[in-house]
Amino acid sequence: MTDAPVVFVVDDDPSVRSSLRFLLSTVGLQVESFDSADAFLRKKPAGVPSCLVLDVRLPGLSGIDIQRELAARNIPIPIIFLTGHGDIPMSVRAMKAGAVEFLTKPFRDQDLLDAIRIALERDRARREQAREVTDLERRFDSLTSREQQVISMLVSGMLNKQIAAQLGTAESTVKVQRSRAMEKMHAESLVDLVRMIEKIKGPSEKAS
Amino acid sequence: MTNETQGAQTADPLDLRNLIETMPTLALCALPDGSVEFVNRGWQEYTGCSLQQLSGWIWQTTIHPDDVAKFIDEWTVALAGGKPFQTEARIRRADRQYHWFLIRKALAVPRNQGSDSSWRTLITCEDINDRKEAQAKLQQSEAQLRAFLENSPNLIFLKDRLQGRYLYANKEFKRALRITEEQVEGKKDEELFSAQQAAVFQANDRLVIEAGVPMEFEEAALQPDGEHTSIVQKFPLLNAEGEIYAIGGIVTDITGRKQEESARRYSDERHRLVVETAPDAVVSVDESGVIQLANPATTRVFGYEPAELIGKPLTMLMPEFIRKVHEAGFSRYLATGQRHINWQGTELTGLRKNGQEFPVEVSFGELIKDGHRIFTGFIRDISERKLAEDKLRASERSLRELTETIPQMLWSAGTDGAIDYCNQRVLDYTGLSAEQVRGAGWMKSVHQDDIEKMTQVWTASVSTGEPFQYEFRCRRTADNAYRWCVSSALPLRDQDGRVIKWFGTVVDLHDRKEAQQALQMTQAELARVSRLTTMGELAASIAHEVNQPLTAVTNNSNACLRLLAAGNLQPEVLRRALEEIVADGNRASAVVARIRGFIKKKPAEKNRLNINDVIQEVLALADREIYENRVRLERQLTRALPLVSADRVQMQQVLLNLILNGIEAMAAVTNRPRSLCMQSRIDDSGDVLVAVRDSGTGLSPEAHRLFTPFFTTKTNGMGMGLSISRSLVESHGGRLWAEPNSPHGAVFCFTLPESGGSVS
Repeated sequence: MTDAPVVFVVDDDPSVRSSLRFLLSTVGLQVESFDSADAFLRKKPAGVPSCLVLDVRLPGLSGIDIQRELAARNIPIPIIFLTGHGDIPMSVRAMKAGAVEFLTKPFRDQDLLDAIRIALERDRARREQAREVTDLERRFDSLTSREQQVISMLVSGMLNKQIAAQLGTAESTVKVQRSRAMEKMHAESLVDLVRMIEKIKGPSEKAS
Repeated sequence: MTNETQGAQTADPLDLRNLIETMPTLALCALPDGSVEFVNRGWQEYTGCSLQQLSGWIWQTTIHPDDVAKFIDEWTVALAGGKPFQTEARIRRADRQYHWFLIRKALAVPRNQGSDSSWRTLITCEDINDRKEAQAKLQQSEAQLRAFLENSPNLIFLKDRLQGRYLYANKEFKRALRITEEQVEGKKDEELFSAQQAAVFQANDRLVIEAGVPMEFEEAALQPDGEHTSIVQKFPLLNAEGEIYAIGGIVTDITGRKQEESARRYSDERHRLVVETAPDAVVSVDESGVIQLANPATTRVFGYEPAELIGKPLTMLMPEFIRKVHEAGFSRYLATGQRHINWQGTELTGLRKNGQEFPVEVSFGELIKDGHRIFTGFIRDISERKLAEDKLRASERSLRELTETIPQMLWSAGTDGAIDYCNQRVLDYTGLSAEQVRGAGWMKSVHQDDIEKMTQVWTASVSTGEPFQYEFRCRRTADNAYRWCVSSALPLRDQDGRVIKWFGTVVDLHDRKEAQQALQMTQAELARVSRLTTMGELAASIAHEVNQPLTAVTNNSNACLRLLAAGNLQPEVLRRALEEIVADGNRASAVVARIRGFIKKKPAEKNRLNINDVIQEVLALADREIYENRVRLERQLTRALPLVSADRVQMQQVLLNLILNGIEAMAAVTNRPRSLCMQSRIDDSGDVLVAVRDSGTGLSPEAHRLFTPFFTTKTNGMGMGLSISRSLVESHGGRLWAEPNSPHGAVFCFTLPESGGSVS
């Protein structure tokens, strides 16, 4: 699996599409372009870091509709909007909905390239994080249920002695289970372990 | 008999007059020349005429014209000759009805005073009308009786009691015996039949005379065509004193019946088959009301198997409330023979096995079998018919109510164009009565300058069957003013396409017509404002469109610069980029070329408004186009829409543009309704969505270019409308797009973000 990023371009104007492809090729970016929202949505999600350069005004579904549709399908691809009509309310809506950038045509090439760089970086980080979480989850799943219990109690701040009392076992047993679990999770310290569990459980649980 | 007392001695005119006055009948005093000297009060009261009117010869005008000639002949002769006189004639009563009178000479009196020595004759007139009428009735009933006897298929005769001579024999009697009347009247049985037969007949006659009651005998008689067996019913005829004076007889020849017995069995079988397969329930009951027979159809009609019914009372097929009435009526009929209901097709209520009551139509028949009376009912379930009738009545009623309550003037006309109905509104408006409007009477309310042309147009429609429409001035009775109205009518056609009726409406559009003037000015103003803002928008739109090629030019140029900086610009790549740059530059300059002459954009004035209000305003503006193009308008406006923040005039422009486009797209449509549907609602994202649906020719394959400036599918279009509309909508943060409509036409939709707050 090559890690080369892809930039998707959706614009109904063929000149704009082809000039974008040319421009982005000069900085070594791979481009896939589409003339409508439907054409893009029919495509399978990419397995590599990617971002979407999207014209607001399109036949059929608009750029804003695509943004909504992608969110509904849980496809978190970063979006850079292009518009021929500098409209503040629309750009605000787009940005609120998570757009990386909102550029008015014609734009400075560096502005677009910067936005693309940020978008790809964001997507790469998201993928990295997702991969790490998957990895941690796999490790967590390899623990016995008693080890998972011990770790959960440990992360919530309980001492070995308290855990042993609650589980009705000896403190020495808890110590053994704890060190075995740390080893399986590749955790170097208790702090490290807490960070890992937080990643697995997601930010929502941490917040509560 | 004439009561004549000529030569009465002491008669004096005054006495005579007193005598006449005191007579209870009509009476008059006549002179020998036939003229009347005076009449009594009875006469005056009966005829309603005064004494003067009845004196002289004039009184004869009270005699019925048909009787007067004969009467005067007899009158003149009798008076002049001093002869007895009696005649019948009709005399006119005060109410102009004629009554029969017996008019006769009662008394002839000589005058014993002065030179006038002529006789006075007292005439009395007796009202015999009742007698005359009774006589006429009697004659009629006699004739009927004779006709009845003569035409009876039975042999009927009357014989004298004492001598046994025939007094009367009917036609059938004579036909059977091949004899004429002369040969029967006055003859005895011995002269017509053999001695042996005559002896049998006479013996039977004696039995009847002795018993004094009707009796029945089976008699054999030799007739010219062979021996006949007959049932003879003989009965005594009584005179006023109650003595038997004659024997009557009715002979029913059963010779043929015996021969037909086998044939009848066959017919019975066929009859049974009819009953068994009849669609109506057939139920027979005996005199006690117990069911003797029920056919299979009773199962369908009542839900009972025939076996369940036989032996049970008929009342089980009726609801409780009828049973008592039925039983009373039935026993009354058995006792008196009086029918209290119609035996043919009477509507009653039946009761099904499941307890359900339903309407039935019943016909009864009665026959006597083996001396017992059998009643048979044919019962038809008419629930469906009743239901249909009820429905029809209801729909008729509601239709009538509708035509009378509908707030519009309605009328209908026959195929000849004559008005045959109009609703109350027409009468209220015109002040004419229903009778006055009929035919061509409605023209009374039409302005005289319009009558000729309107009649012409109407006549043309009536003769061709083309829909009728005409604007005319109609007099309104309320203010006695002529007002502009439009009358329209469509023909109702039968299955063969022939016109059978015309239905029409009249609409007062005077206010509208006046408003039209004002509206036209408003429209002109709007057009001017529209042009101003349109041009401003046009400039914006063009600038927007220029941005596309500019973006491409910039991108291409920047890419080349980057490659150049990296020392990696291949001449081939450069040439291709430059070619694109040139193409896009040309494209941009073509667009820019059109900006010249356009004026500055007027800043939008955004207010919070209800888009439904704007839609209604624009529909009013487009009313003429909608009307003239015969477009059916439908509104599907959602009431509680959020307010939008928008420039009213710009929104009017967008809507007007879309509506006029829709109407134009339907101009070529002739084979289906031209319908324009205006919708407003909240879309999935909470924005206000407005849709304009038409049933026109639909979107072309080039539809994606619809919103491109200067693109047009119209022969005389500029190709800016949709492009500008889109710019306007987008400047409000909304979107404008087109979709195909189903099954025909196109839908143009636009959205506007809600501005917060909603319409109550």
